[in-house]
Amino acid sequence: MQRSSSQSTTSSSSGSGKPADYVTFERSVAGFSDDAVHRAKAAQLKLEHFYKVAVEAAIERNTRRVELERKLQIDIMTSEDRKHRQLQQLGKKESTYLRLRRTRLGLDDFRTVKVIGKGAFGEVRLVQKTDTGKIYAMKTLKKEEMLKKDQLAHVRAERDVLAESNSHWVVQLFYSFQDPQTLYLIMEFLPGGDLMTMLIKYDTFSEDVTRFYIAECVLAIDTVHKLGFIHRDIKPDNILIDKDGHIKLSDFGLSTGFHKQHDSSYYQRLLDSSNGVQSPAAAARNSVMVNAIHLTMSSKDQIATWKANRRKLAYSTVGTPDYIAPEIFQQKGYGNECDWWSLGAIMFECLVGYPPFCSESTHDTYQKIIQWQYHLVFPDDVHLSREAEDLIRRLITSQDRRLNIEQIKNHPFFYGVEWDTIRLIDAPFVPHLRSITDTSYFPTDEIDQAPAEAPVADLADAQKDLAFLGYDIYSALSCCRLFIF
Amino acid sequence: SPVTPIAQKPLYLCSPFVEAALVKGNFKTIVVLPKYVDIMEWVAVNVFDFYTNLNEFYGVISECCTQQSCPTMSAGQNLNYTWINQDRKSVHLAAPTYIDYVMTWIQNLLDDENVFPTKSGHDFPQSFPSTVKHVYRQLLRVFAHIYHAHYPQILHLRSEPHFNSLFAHFLAFGREYELLDIKDVKGAANSPVGAGMLWERWREMGILEG
Ligand SMILES: Nc1ncnc2c1ncn2[C@@H]1O[C@H](COP(=O)(O)OP(=O)(O)OP(=O)(O)O)[C@@H](O)[C@H]1O
Repeated sequence: MQRSSSQSTTSSSSGSGKPADYVTFERSVAGFSDDAVHRAKAAQLKLEHFYKVAVEAAIERNTRRVELERKLQIDIMTSEDRKHRQLQQLGKKESTYLRLRRTRLGLDDFRTVKVIGKGAFGEVRLVQKTDTGKIYAMKTLKKEEMLKKDQLAHVRAERDVLAESNSHWVVQLFYSFQDPQTLYLIMEFLPGGDLMTMLIKYDTFSEDVTRFYIAECVLAIDTVHKLGFIHRDIKPDNILIDKDGHIKLSDFGLSTGFHKQHDSSYYQRLLDSSNGVQSPAAAARNSVMVNAIHLTMSSKDQIATWKANRRKLAYSTVGTPDYIAPEIFQQKGYGNECDWWSLGAIMFECLVGYPPFCSESTHDTYQKIIQWQYHLVFPDDVHLSREAEDLIRRLITSQDRRLNIEQIKNHPFFYGVEWDTIRLIDAPFVPHLRSITDTSYFPTDEIDQAPAEAPVADLADAQKDLAFLGYDIYSALSCCRLFIF
Repeated sequence: SPVTPIAQKPLYLCSPFVEAALVKGNFKTIVVLPKYVDIMEWVAVNVFDFYTNLNEFYGVISECCTQQSCPTMSAGQNLNYTWINQDRKSVHLAAPTYIDYVMTWIQNLLDDENVFPTKSGHDFPQSFPSTVKHVYRQLLRVFAHIYHAHYPQILHLRSEPHFNSLFAHFLAFGREYELLDIKDVKGAANSPVGAGMLWERWREMGILEG
């Protein structure tokens, strides 16, 4: 045992209330390389993350089982035999999910068909999984760019929203993985393009067509809200059209998911502290700075509190301005009502042809949005029904006066909308598709089709990897969907 | 003053370090086989995680585990593990070499579709349970060496709550699925495994079940 006695001493057990074998140990990282200190911090974080996820997964798995058992118990129509099979089926699904955790999907498993979209941090490609031949949309995000622009928090949120929702209003995420330079999101491919492309094509929509899209958006946004997320960046380019002409929301790049760890400054602080910048308390001898993770799961309440805590409100400002609510710029708190403002702006654009505060420069747009009272103007040459204008005015208004979900659904503009079945009716525009890889609804000519540059080895990878810790996780909720691989 | 036996006690058995833990509460929550789930998949993914997490920690202290500092794979006062080479002879290896062999061997198994299948339709081989026991025993040795030879470094790096919890979880899991022989954990009477004493201590403390 190599232990220098100068470093550790056994305290005398006299009256200190400490155990007889209590020792003090003078901690110091002086003998270590910077790399080791850094790796130690990373290993700790990874393990903390690991146990957090392990507990979370155990709870969720348990919930799924209990729910099914309860459902089967009260079901008197189904035979015992079938019930048994359904339970076995659940076990199979869970087992497959466990197996997926050991599976490493990578770029090699997909072949690019075409680049169909470009964004601030990467691009969106139509890809085919080589072994199964299935088609997906693959979104790539350059880590370097995201770290530079401090967008980390957002991509983590994006992954979480996509992964957590199992809703037909949200683009389904199947898998995510990363290499040293890039994050990859493998999503369902929506062949109908986006609402922005559609608006470019048609200039404006009739009130009937507008009613359809805006009503579907209302339900989609409400779904996101019910999951505990705020989208914050709803704009026509994020409203995608599926093969039947119905909409789904994508791009949660700016949505806030409220996990503490989504805060990228949090990583910066951790990195700083592992670089020796430490608070006096943390430097104290023997101190064991660790927030214990509790494994014992006792009641449903606990689960509920825990879930609720995961979704705390966050304050921050980022964004492309045209559809963004004023309160987001103003460093004040905001809630999910900011998404209804965005919807108002989109509705305005559908009927009028441009968004209400569009300007030559983003700076002017910001200004107009903040002083929306003076700048929300309905042009004389476009006729809007009273109901349409009224709804827009009740969405593009101050936070406290904005309509809430129920008021929106009951607004006269939506008179006649069957909220429960709208996704089942025929959409106003149904894409004509010639094949599963038809990209005619995407402006592929305008996008550089050159293959992505070859990955270059990079410094500071350890640091970057730490920031993207926990990124490659599959959603438990979509595990059934993962079967398609 | 007389030298008390307590002073000889390894740091990892001393207060407050022996109590340090990242996770509190009962490991059962994350150890028991989830109902209806295939036991092979459950064991496979857990072994995969133990390997990954331990590898992470060994990576941290690997600069302190050298041919000079650790000429043998030590795990107790009188205990140096030997490696069985290709000629089936027991040989002494320096700890970093030994651990490198172990980790490479396990990584290769994990990557081998015939041992740890990942593709759908591929089943676990008949030999899977015995393979996993082998893996588990070798992982135990890596834990044991780190406790015996590198615990002060773990302390300097403030990682003892994490490392303790990982090891306790490893023991709890190994016990639940009979992947560990108690004699491997404790060692022989004349050459005990240092870290094996944590088993009793943690049981007394209620961290591990009886
Ligand atoms: N799942 C999908 N299926 C089909 N097309 C998609 C899909 N996801 C994205 N696209 C296309 O790619 C375009 C860009 O995607 P997206 O808006 O998600 O990324 P982005 O532009 O990087 O986001 P950001 O607004 O953060 O810059 C979309 O407008 C859409 O046309």
